Amino acid sequence: MNPVTANRRHYEDLTIGEIIDLGATSVSKEMIVAFAREFDPFPFHLDEEAAKASLLGGLASSGWQTAALTLRMLGDRFLNGIASMGGLGFSDLKWKKPVMVGDTISGTATISGLRRSRHHPERGIVTIDLDMSNQSGEPVMTMRLANLIELRDPAAPLVEGENP
Amino acid sequence: MTRWFEDITLDEAFPLGSHHFTEAEIIRFGQLYDPQYFHVDPEAAKASHFGGLVASGWHTVSVGHRRMVEALFAEEDRLRGLGKEPGVSGPSPGVNKMEFKAPVRPGDTVTYTLVVTGKRPSNSIPGWGLLFNTLEATNQNGELVYHAELVGFSKLRDYKMPLRLRLLLALTRIPVLGKVITKRTG
Repeated sequence: MNPVTANRRHYEDLTIGEIIDLGATSVSKEMIVAFAREFDPFPFHLDEEAAKASLLGGLASSGWQTAALTLRMLGDRFLNGIASMGGLGFSDLKWKKPVMVGDTISGTATISGLRRSRHHPERGIVTIDLDMSNQSGEPVMTMRLANLIELRDPAAPLVEGENP
Repeated sequence: MTRWFEDITLDEAFPLGSHHFTEAEIIRFGQLYDPQYFHVDPEAAKASHFGGLVASGWHTVSVGHRRMVEALFAEEDRLRGLGKEPGVSGPSPGVNKMEFKAPVRPGDTVTYTLVVTGKRPSNSIPGWGLLFNTLEATNQNGELVYHAELVGFSKLRDYKMPLRLRLLLALTRIPVLGKVITKRTG
C-alpha cells in the first residue's frame, strides 16, 4: 500500500460519466508574459503591438499556458484526490479560441473511460475529457487526457471487457 | 518566422537542441501547474511507482516548445544572413497526439527533434498553410521521453487572394454590414 495515496480514491472508486467542476482562473498580462518568456517567446505572446498584427488579434496566452493552467485546476479538484500515477499523454487537444488578457477560463473534466492497463493489469487508466471556456461561454480548449491510477486491489482478476 | 510554407521540406529532421532538467526547476514547474507529490516532493515521490521525483510531462513538453521556438528564431537569423526574407509562423490550432514514454528525472538531459511530416493550405484561414509536425524527445540514454504529433500555421509566400475574397474583405470594412459578414463567415 502506498502511504501517500492510501486514503485517496482509487480506480475502483471512479465512475464513467462523473463530471468535475474545475472552478475558474483569470489570466493577467503579467501571467501571459511570464509564461511566454520561459516557454513560448513568440512576439505575439510578449508584445501587444506584435499580437495585434498576428492571427491572435491581441495579446493572448500561449496555448501551452492555457493547458498548464487547466492542468493545475484539474490537479486541485481531482488528480490530488485520487491515487494518480501520472499522465500517459493526451489526444485531440484543440485550441479553439485564444485566451486574451483579462479573460477568465473555467470548465469541466468528465470521466469518459476506465480500463485496466494492457501491460500492467495491476494499474488502471482513467480517460478525462476537458472542456474549457472563457467568461462569454465560448470554448477555448478541449482535450482528452489519459492518466494512470492505482487499483485498491491490484490482484483483482480482469473481468471480460474490462481491458478493451 | 523561419521558412515560408512553400520552402518547408517534408521528412527532414530539425535538431532543436537539448535541455538539462534540475531538481529545482522540476519542483518549481510542479508547484505552479502540476502539484502531484511525485512532481513536487522528492521524499514522498519515493513511495510512487517512479521511485523518485520526476518532471511533469507538461514541463518537458513546454521546454520542447521553447526549444522549437528558439530553433525557428535561429533559422530566421540564418536566412536573413543569406540575404533572404524569412517566412512567418503562426499560432497552433492543436495537438493530435502526445505520448509520454519515459519519465524525466533531475539531472536528465533531454534532446528534441522536429520532423515536418505533412503540409497543406488552410481551408479556414486564407493565406496560411497547416504544418503537421512530429516532435520527439529523447534522454541521455537514447530512450524516447515523449512522442508528439503537432499542428502549426505557416504563412504562404505566393498566396494571391481570390477576387471573391478580396471583395468580401472590402465589404467587411463597412460598419454594420461588416459585422454581419464576419458573423456569417466566422
